Amino acid sequence: MKRKFFFRLTLAVAAFAMVAFIIPQEQKKGAPWDIPKEYKEKKNPFKDDASLEKLGKTIYSKHCRSCHGNAGLGDGVMAKNQKTFPGDFSSAEFQKHTDGELYYMSIIGRDEMPNFEKKITDEEERWAVINYIRTMKK
Amino acid sequence: MKRILLIVLALIGVLSLMAQEEPTKDRPVRAPFNSGILIDNQTSVIPADKTLEFQIQHKFGKIDNGFSDLFGLYAPGANIRLALNYVPIKNLQIGYGLSRIRMYSDFSIKYTIHEQTRRNTFPVAVAVFANMAVDGRNKTDFGNNYKFGNRYSYFSQLIIGRRFNDWLSVQANASFTHYNITEPGIDHDKVSVGFNGRVNFSPQSSILFQYDIPLKIKSITEHREWTNPAKPNLGVGWEIRTSTHAFHIYLSSADGMIPQHNAVYNTNDWTKGDMMFGFSIVRFWNF
Repeated sequence: MKRKFFFRLTLAVAAFAMVAFIIPQEQKKGAPWDIPKEYKEKKNPFKDDASLEKLGKTIYSKHCRSCHGNAGLGDGVMAKNQKTFPGDFSSAEFQKHTDGELYYMSIIGRDEMPNFEKKITDEEERWAVINYIRTMKK
Repeated sequence: MKRILLIVLALIGVLSLMAQEEPTKDRPVRAPFNSGILIDNQTSVIPADKTLEFQIQHKFGKIDNGFSDLFGLYAPGANIRLALNYVPIKNLQIGYGLSRIRMYSDFSIKYTIHEQTRRNTFPVAVAVFANMAVDGRNKTDFGNNYKFGNRYSYFSQLIIGRRFNDWLSVQANASFTHYNITEPGIDHDKVSVGFNGRVNFSPQSSILFQYDIPLKIKSITEHREWTNPAKPNLGVGWEIRTSTHAFHIYLSSADGMIPQHNAVYNTNDWTKGDMMFGFSIVRFWNF
């Protein structure tokens, strides 16, 4: 009786161990964003403003680099802790978003992507980051 | 005649166009400092409304024992302060802190009266800071005729600062300290002045500096001569700022965490090498 119990227990533990080693743990790719119309059509008043380049880099370094990485490849030190891949800013797929859409994704955020409205309060600073992200295009 | 008339009409047209142009509002400069504290001092910066800050401040022992206690890092007698600050409305911050030295509980308030503006319509930032501290030691430490009011001390400060450019911001301050009860030979009231600032050398890092001077003013002293006046507090440090944290590592000469204690009780002389390492960690939450 006792032997049977331990045999079944061993089988259960072995089955659990096998399942634990097999289940994939890849980061999932983010689902398409549901961006409100007013943000899709939002215009960048600081488009091509070269004077904001340094500011954009500073704000990106402080708020974004830890997850999104130096070149926006989604390889920051905190990236591995996220369930969702932070995204590849150099890709054509990412860069085809409008400035307004990038604004929504960067400042409003969703899920693991935080809201930065209270951290980056100045509109000029927000667009400076968007302009800097545009420079990451391959 | 016709030509003169045309020129005059053209001038009137240009001038009226200029008059109709609405001047854009002069906005505040970008944050002159990365956080609300600068080594032992306050800055004019208050985070966005509904921000909660948790501060951990720690000072080690003096460095004068050299490597034997790892320049004070392993020495006994450190000072620690834990504090929470909250910004209920824009430009107003309230806080509570608890220090190890004298178990001071300090209740503070800071208000940015006016921020510096980009087009220099207001060329400096002006802020005021005040606190009331309650000495939490046993009543036997207060001598005879103990009353609860013996525990109170007060500090008020006017801060004026300027962000000169992307890399340099400097502040000057003037403060008044009052202790209800002090030890023999120590004045109850003290006026101090100081200046401090930061030099930004990378997107996330800055060098910090401070120098606070308690003044020896004959008209408010209770003593005939200065037997053991409080000494100036020199500090230099390094700040790292991330999205959610600010980290300071520094060397300073005063061992107190609350400004009134340093203004009245600091006897460490930086000219004789009485310095100690310290660090601060600030964590920000936005609601």
